[in-house]
Amino acid sequence: MQVERTTLAWLRTGLTFVVGLMVLLRLLAHRSAVAAAVCAAVALPLAAVIAVASWRRHRQAERNLRAAKPLPDGVLQAAFTALALLAGAIGAVYVLLM
Amino acid sequence: MAAENEEPACRRWPHRIYGVGEEPDPRFTLANERTFLAWIRTALALMAAGVGVEALNAAMSPGPDPLRTSLAVLLLLAGVVCSVAAFGRWMTMERALRTKAPLPPPKLAPVLGFGLGVVGVAATVLLLVNGF
Repeated sequence: MQVERTTLAWLRTGLTFVVGLMVLLRLLAHRSAVAAAVCAAVALPLAAVIAVASWRRHRQAERNLRAAKPLPDGVLQAAFTALALLAGAIGAVYVLLM
Repeated sequence: MAAENEEPACRRWPHRIYGVGEEPDPRFTLANERTFLAWIRTALALMAAGVGVEALNAAMSPGPDPLRTSLAVLLLLAGVVCSVAAFGRWMTMERALRTKAPLPPPKLAPVLGFGLGVVGVAATVLLLVNGF
């Protein structure tokens, strides 16, 4: 149950990222199509990789918990933080691009 | 058996956390992860608010507006600080759990609370200045 709840939290956060980035890129495209294309090329593959990694993390956590082995480490946390910083940077581009 | 258990432990990242202490109750580790994710979502909400302030106001009243832009930039910066702090706090907490040290109190939460109050006042002023 704990693993399930944690996985749902990962997926929820990942979904928020994808939806937020799509809205942001759509808004950015209104101001500069080039900037939007560049940001999309960087952010969306990263978001896809992270989504797959979240699912694999869930599988690994389930397996390791059953085998009484340590849980997954902090790589995905760092990836989410990096994606959040990227989203912030894209947001700044949008706000400052008149 | 011991070697089998130790080898993956060494490969776990970051070493700053997994190099110390011993494996805590998995439930605590998972709860710490969820807390990290809640902070990241808070950071995203702050950034979304920043972009939203800009987008909505640009739609309502086109043209540059320094007050509006600074409010948006302030919210975006808060989001960036919040996401970095989320990762830092996750590391601190995981380390404390592993070394069985007392958990440090959240430093950013009160700042965020008061900060959002200030932002609320600023948004109200912006609303009044722009004449709705």
